[in-house]
Amino acid sequence: MPAAAPFNPEDIANAKYTERPVKEGVTTKKLICAACDIACTVVGEVQKGRVTKVRSSDNPIFRDNICMKGIIAPKGLAHPNRILHPMKRVGERGSGEWEQVTWEEAMSDIGSRLKKVIADHGPEAWAVSTSQWNTSTDHGLGRRIMNHVGSPNWISGVALCAGNTAAVNRFTYGWFPFGDFGNTKCIVLMGHNPRRHSWTPLYNSIRGAQAKGAKLIVMDPRRSSSAERADIWLPLKVGSDAAMMFGWLKVIIDEELYDKDFVKTWTIGFEDLKKRVDEFPLERVAKLTGCDPEMIAEAARVYATSGPAVIPWTPITDMQRNSTSGIRLQTILRAICGNLDVPGGELLQGFNPDIINESEIEMHDVLSDEQKMKQLGSKDHPAFTYRAQLPFREPTKRVYGQEYANLVMGCHMATPSETFKAMAGEGEYPVKAFFFLGNNPLLSYANMPLIQKAMMNQDLIVAHEQFMTPSAQLADYVLPADSWLERPWLHDMFGWMSTVRFSEKAMDPPGECRSTFEFWKQIAGALDMPEVVPWDTLEDFYDYRVARTGMTWEEIVETEVHFKTPAFRQYEKTGFATPSGKVELKSSILDDLGFDPLPYFREDPPQDADYPLKMFTGVREDGFFQTGHRHIPEMRARHPEPEIYLNAKTAAARGVKEGEWVTVENQLGSIKAKLAIKDAMPDDLVRVPHGWWKPEMQQGVGHLSGALDYGDSQLCRDDPDFLDREQGIPHIKGIPCRVVPLVAAAPTKVEASRPVMEPAE
Amino acid sequence: MSLTDKEIRKHERSARLMMWMAARSSRNKTLIDRVCRKIIVRATTVDPEKDFMRDELIDNDEGFDPDELDRYQRGETA
Repeated sequence: MPAAAPFNPEDIANAKYTERPVKEGVTTKKLICAACDIACTVVGEVQKGRVTKVRSSDNPIFRDNICMKGIIAPKGLAHPNRILHPMKRVGERGSGEWEQVTWEEAMSDIGSRLKKVIADHGPEAWAVSTSQWNTSTDHGLGRRIMNHVGSPNWISGVALCAGNTAAVNRFTYGWFPFGDFGNTKCIVLMGHNPRRHSWTPLYNSIRGAQAKGAKLIVMDPRRSSSAERADIWLPLKVGSDAAMMFGWLKVIIDEELYDKDFVKTWTIGFEDLKKRVDEFPLERVAKLTGCDPEMIAEAARVYATSGPAVIPWTPITDMQRNSTSGIRLQTILRAICGNLDVPGGELLQGFNPDIINESEIEMHDVLSDEQKMKQLGSKDHPAFTYRAQLPFREPTKRVYGQEYANLVMGCHMATPSETFKAMAGEGEYPVKAFFFLGNNPLLSYANMPLIQKAMMNQDLIVAHEQFMTPSAQLADYVLPADSWLERPWLHDMFGWMSTVRFSEKAMDPPGECRSTFEFWKQIAGALDMPEVVPWDTLEDFYDYRVARTGMTWEEIVETEVHFKTPAFRQYEKTGFATPSGKVELKSSILDDLGFDPLPYFREDPPQDADYPLKMFTGVREDGFFQTGHRHIPEMRARHPEPEIYLNAKTAAARGVKEGEWVTVENQLGSIKAKLAIKDAMPDDLVRVPHGWWKPEMQQGVGHLSGALDYGDSQLCRDDPDFLDREQGIPHIKGIPCRVVPLVAAAPTKVEASRPVMEPAE
Repeated sequence: MSLTDKEIRKHERSARLMMWMAARSSRNKTLIDRVCRKIIVRATTVDPEKDFMRDELIDNDEGFDPDELDRYQRGETA
């Protein structure tokens, strides 16, 4: 998620801000950090043509939005293992045998082979996996080319992290809101735990709001650091968030704490919703969530009556069997409590009219409806595919001025699991060419065995990467990617917010590293469609995107940020961007697609006695972003090994001790990890670390730099009981598993677990 | 918890003013820009003991030497 540009300068409160003097021999550049997906505005200090320091911004509205991943970037990106030249596979796939080629040689061959795949199997046989951070700030150009070629099969980690939330939010009120932390009176964190070094601006905003008196409610099975600071902590059972929200709604509706005027004027389906909510008396909710009914009621009352409140985006409800219902319940709480588009509530900002946004760049209109309907996942799990999102074209045009709003890139995606099935030869049709940019698919999606099978079944795999990740090891070509220090960036907040920010180029890329702009421009050329990317340089492209401001890129980058004039309750003029123009508590689109138009709760399947514990994964460790940063010595010193967390009681019952190596196993696979005892963990819950591999370990098939030993995606199931129905995303918050001591091949030296930043990250 | 239209408009005016100041502060070129930045700094400064963003790792960061980074990139240092 992007860093919020404050609506109110009081959002950011800190004492150590000073105007920094310019040092001799040092120049400074205004940058947006892409070490993670938050996009903090920072400053790069440059000496001898190198960025030697990354520090917090000189601009007081962005100050202190920086973390350890940002400050280590000059060293992390100077790592000797950085890929500096195009590499072509010469042995068997995954053999680790490469030869250096030129960009031109690589692109010529890639173009020929991709055209052959398209000729043999159709344009839909080409899939791309990426995001808009790390290396992948491609400004929508990838989608633009895919749309011209005719492929709808674009996937991303945002399918289970914010992008899907954006798509599901649209079902209720047509946009994805962002909280006004500067004026809010209450914040609800659902399992999310922003910290000083993870989701830093959000942590900053929450602490700032608390300092001004806002209440904090935390739902989390763990006693997280946010839970310790909360006014109310609801230690619910893992994966029961949707049930908890039903309990809140029961209290809020029964006690008439909702905004009656808003509900009457601006919503449809309230009576149907009420009937569904009546199926969840607090006694049932208490049983489903494991929380005290009085505490549930008290939290609901605080949320509904404190004043404008926010429920910030949370990855937790993105990754559950009940994801669509969970996200819909959040939208319903926001709406009926009168928090939509009001100061201190949830702002529906729309696009910044002065900037050509990425949804426009993507040109979804050129992809035919026939090809759109071929998007993998459309048939069974359409929620974020074209099939479910096309009905928003007219309402979005009416309210936000354009038909396509690919918010957080999540509103026109193929379903990852269906895409990998097709790649493996088990889908509706074959997918035979796969590109990934700044993305490590083996470790980023559920069911690594399927993904590996899928990749081994490809005719062409192209990676655009900074380092030889486990996924890149299976590619035909690995092309060297630049970094956020080495190119400019126009950040349109993924369409989520209307503020636009700008980043300068601070140094030249090393070796032959090139940007995604250059990558896609060359791909367009290799596919004989250079006119699709007509700009000569990234700066030319940005001149085009900012032209409506009356400034050039060179001029606007000096301003650092470009705001849209704030306005509230815009729906009073335009209605909401839904088919009805109202807040659809009962979704007409889900109804038309044959799904339950109201939220519901699917309970866990019967427990398997062989797997008595439950695990969750997907949580970031402070030193790493997703599967990255394991090559940086300073970060690895903080987290040298993958660690699972158990509490002492659960560990003792398994006969395992702090610092010992264990395996976590379930029906899909197993991983190795060290055990850390954390009293912040509840009984029988296992925290599995996300995205682990070790760059220093052996590469290639059968090894994959430790990904086969440690990669959590080997435990993430995607069979029907573990998929959300509407979206087809995996349930990774409560997977049955067991933990057993690792006897064979265990390291002989058992060390005490090292401390980490938080009690239970 | 409905806000009245009057309250909404008041918030809107306040938000527009703040945004204007934030934009001027970001540009930081002219006298008015610099005045805006000073006002924002003053309005947002809190006591060090209440500063939840203080962090030893960040505060003590001295960055890197460019020659050291060159040597590191060539694999000559760890």
